[in-house]
Amino acid sequence: MSEPAVEVKNLTKVFSIGLKKEYVVAIDNLSFEVKAGEVYGLIGPNGSGKSTTMKVVLGLMAASKGSAKVFGLDSGDIRARNEIGFLPENPYFYKHLTGAETLQFYGKLCGIRGSALKDRIAELLKLVDLEGAANRRLGGYSKGMLQRIGLAQSLIQNPRLVILDEPTAGVDPIGSRQIRDLIMKLREDGYTVFLCSHLLEQVQEVCDRVGILFNGRMRREGTLDELIAIENQTTMTLENATPELIAEIHALVGTREGARIVEERHPRTSLEHLFIQIAERSRKENP
Amino acid sequence: MSEETSPPTPRAAGKAVPMFSLGRVRTIAGSTVTQLVRMKTFYFLLAFALVVVAVGNFNIPTTPAKELSMIKKVSFGTMDLFAWLFAIVATALLIPRDIEDRTLYTILSKPVRRIEYLFGKLCGVLVVVGTSLLAMYAICAIMIFARENLYISSEYEAMTASGQYSEAEIAQQISLIRQQGLRAELGIAVLASFFKASVVAAVTIFLSTFASSSLFTIIVSILIFLIGHAHTMATNFWLHESNHSIFVQILVKVVRILIPNYQLFSFSEGIVQGEAVVYALVWQMGGLTAGYLLVFLLLSLLIFVDKEF
Repeated sequence: MSEPAVEVKNLTKVFSIGLKKEYVVAIDNLSFEVKAGEVYGLIGPNGSGKSTTMKVVLGLMAASKGSAKVFGLDSGDIRARNEIGFLPENPYFYKHLTGAETLQFYGKLCGIRGSALKDRIAELLKLVDLEGAANRRLGGYSKGMLQRIGLAQSLIQNPRLVILDEPTAGVDPIGSRQIRDLIMKLREDGYTVFLCSHLLEQVQEVCDRVGILFNGRMRREGTLDELIAIENQTTMTLENATPELIAEIHALVGTREGARIVEERHPRTSLEHLFIQIAERSRKENP
Repeated sequence: MSEETSPPTPRAAGKAVPMFSLGRVRTIAGSTVTQLVRMKTFYFLLAFALVVVAVGNFNIPTTPAKELSMIKKVSFGTMDLFAWLFAIVATALLIPRDIEDRTLYTILSKPVRRIEYLFGKLCGVLVVVGTSLLAMYAICAIMIFARENLYISSEYEAMTASGQYSEAEIAQQISLIRQQGLRAELGIAVLASFFKASVVAAVTIFLSTFASSSLFTIIVSILIFLIGHAHTMATNFWLHESNHSIFVQILVKVVRILIPNYQLFSFSEGIVQGEAVVYALVWQMGGLTAGYLLVFLLLSLLIFVDKEF
């Protein structure tokens, strides 16, 4: 079995507040693993300890008890940072730098220089669809563009693990969709993605496994199928079914003891899909 | 929109990270310089140029040598003031802003050691302060050189026209003016201002590692700067001239160690006035500055290394 990308064991983080030394337990005996190559989502309400967990994994905070490891290395070990790309919530990179300069800055911090850095910047700008804005200062970027350049900087040293804190927070549906597509692309390319969010629908769409955090404790953990499947119900979507066929199905179900049709309706597109369709159509009509 | 990207390279976890990388320090320093330049901080040079031009055009009823001396004194005093004030304000803004904007998270989540970050920030500020001082010196030099030549030619013409002075007397008068004019030694006065501003920046970096806001850092840095100028006087009073308790004496000794003695850097005033440069003192001050930088950088690291964000 391959080494886990992230291994958190009995992690506890306690903050002391004020001069009276009042204590707040932000994370309470938390244990979980993120397997290499999967997209793992840590979900929970605001203040549940998601960001604190991430900061401990990143080495920005020390654990009060327990441990956090990244590919077998203690999270406080600087060598672990070579393996991590991080996108914080609402990133505000240096506004005075352009998109390309931002990637250059972070690339140099990772020890990449010369043509290797130049090629990597071009590759990442293409990946996040910001080639046209490469020479524009970040002060003029939209929220979605900032998130995408942030994602690009997180990938600059080609890390094996990408940590994303609320990657779509405050981004419009189109920008949000682009980021979700990028996350899926990262998974296809073999990256491990560990993300925190309280936007459940998005987590459901991209994550292989999910952990539900509440008051610093892991309440449930597992694959999406395990967590959200209703074991005693089955959904069947029919196409071109005649009223006669539907009547036959009703009659058949009626003959079986205990079985009943719970719901019957026409499937709908989501408001988000509808919005994106309209936006794309408008863009095509008025390029 | 997504195109092909390189998949993560399978490599052994734990690729070595050097204990200290000058490359990373250079990168952070370079970014700090760009940040300060693009924040249009160099605009204060315009204000400085205005001060110098205004001082250079005062008509004071005195001798040309004294007038030149006055121009130098005010210009170099202003240069010194701008340098240390700029060092405080620029430094105080950098780290708190990085924390507030979460830029620090992305920097420290890369393989960057905290000492490299602090040292890079300090170097960036020092490059900008040094460049500003050179620019201010260039403005001063142009003004002093122009006034010096103007005084020499007008003095020569006046003395020759009067017919009362011998060639030797005229030469002596011109030599007096030249003594107060543009001399290579003035560069040492600029260096002294740079030394002082460097120590001020190091103290400010130290304060900003634990301060809650930029405003607090700026105010305390200015306070320390002022106390640092009363160092010798205060030490003499508290330790030698009065009978204070051991507690007070220990406290004063601690404060004396913690607060840099900025008075020592005032040797530049003599140089501006035309006194001879004691190069041994300049070297000593260079060494002292390096010592202060090292001590405050280490103190900053002591706090910053375990700081949680």
